Amino acid sequence: MSGKPAWWPRFSSTLRSTAVTARLGRVLGIAVGTCFLTGLLSYFQYQAWEWLPPPASPVWGYRVTQGVHVATGMATIPLVLVKLWSVYPNHFRWPPFRSVKRVVERLTVALLVSATLVQLITGFFNILNWRPFKWDFVSVHYYLAYVVVGSVLLHIAVKLPDIVYGLQTKIADGDVLTEVPWNENPESHSIAGPLPPPVTPGLSRRGVLTAVSAGIGVVVVTSVGQALTPLEPLGLLAPRQPSKGPLGVPVDKTAEEANVIAAAKAPDWTLQIMGPRPYALTVDEVEEMAVHEARFPMNCGEGWSVDALWRGLRLLEVVERAGGTAGSQIRVRSLEQAGPFNKSVIFGPQLSHALLATHVNGERLTVDHGYPLRLIAPNRACRFDTKWLASIEVLS
Amino acid sequence: MRIWRIVLGVLGISAATYGISQLLTHVPVQSLVLLALWLIAALIIHDGLLSPAVVGIGAALRRYVPDRGRRYLQFGLIMAAMVTVIAVPMIYRANTQPPSKALLLQDFGINLTVLLAAIGGVTLAAYAIRVAQDRSVPGPAPPDEAKK
Repeated sequence: MSGKPAWWPRFSSTLRSTAVTARLGRVLGIAVGTCFLTGLLSYFQYQAWEWLPPPASPVWGYRVTQGVHVATGMATIPLVLVKLWSVYPNHFRWPPFRSVKRVVERLTVALLVSATLVQLITGFFNILNWRPFKWDFVSVHYYLAYVVVGSVLLHIAVKLPDIVYGLQTKIADGDVLTEVPWNENPESHSIAGPLPPPVTPGLSRRGVLTAVSAGIGVVVVTSVGQALTPLEPLGLLAPRQPSKGPLGVPVDKTAEEANVIAAAKAPDWTLQIMGPRPYALTVDEVEEMAVHEARFPMNCGEGWSVDALWRGLRLLEVVERAGGTAGSQIRVRSLEQAGPFNKSVIFGPQLSHALLATHVNGERLTVDHGYPLRLIAPNRACRFDTKWLASIEVLS
Repeated sequence: MRIWRIVLGVLGISAATYGISQLLTHVPVQSLVLLALWLIAALIIHDGLLSPAVVGIGAALRRYVPDRGRRYLQFGLIMAAMVTVIAVPMIYRANTQPPSKALLLQDFGINLTVLLAAIGGVTLAAYAIRVAQDRSVPGPAPPDEAKK
């Protein structure tokens, strides 16, 4: 306190209080936890364990969990900014390096803040198909999530007394949070005893929370339509508009991006089925066999999803003809030559319910949708609904 | 409380250590350098530019806008800022993708304007109602007029 230079910042807004921060932090903690758990479910889609096949039901499972993941992540961006606003004066305690403990605490907060901001921003950029960060999104997003959650838990541990004070204090009564810590502030309740609540002449503290709730509400309602179809018309901030996709289904990766247009349109295309009794199917044979219909959503890791009516061959029947069974591991390969998503493995309940689709919503697949043949299975991330199929292998 | 703090602290340190060690072992050095730059840049941009700007705006409002009106202005500005943060990257990225993706096809500049106008309109209406109420109730002058 003493020796503080005259130019050192002073914060006088009575809106800031641990009572406000703790309430914002409670919601933020729930949001981060929600993103983490739904994120783990998503990574399970990416790397399922062999002994625990991804379920095929409910068919809307991934649609919901990933829709929640992305909607929560988007809403958390403004929320975390408000939360950080509420504690900004903590940067300006005097003296700045008062103890080793304090410096360590600040460093862990720096890690918490930077990891959280980068995690949220890169996640948001990724759903916009914008990757100015040049690293592999999937793995970095996954590992960084542990850093975020770990530093949040550590932060809760460090701040627990403040959190308890903040949540137990009426929001209007809480001590004003300034650059002076409460235990050195002669005007704090714990030193001065009972005091009248600080005056907030403009917006009240409760008003801040109401405005934040309303802001989050607007962001969620105007963006979640990319997964929650009835809200699509309100999607002023929705990156995707599923109804505007060809045949009512957006495309995750185009044929041009995958560099498969010529191969997919080749008249001599055949599907190779490899197993104990290998065989091949031509386009005509595939279209003749495509009589099975199923309705399930296409759900993507980028948080959008849309219900669709699929028509095609039952994958299991194709596999059984080659000598496989419902217990087999199946690998499907795309005409796409390179890239991490040019093949996928399907087994367990998803195998039993999967279609090799030729039609969507009553029309022959467009080349962007995977013509001549694509995989589609319920409760499966769309990255693994492999398009432009070239071969099917019975692995075991 | 002590036991909770220890449990949370140990859990937190373990999870963060796991994440960092996985990053260091599975991500190429080049990407790690970029990631480190992004982490540092996030702190600098947020704490060095964004937060001081917000603090400055808050201080300016407190100085120049009368209390009664400021209450509504602050409410509207908080909502407007939250919506703008989400809209800006989409404005920047609009129409960069093949149309079949149905991605970023909207004019998000117009959409943001619509949202800001709605937020502004509702805020202004609430303020107008308040002013009308204050006028109809006899008593001491409201803070706006007292300052004049």
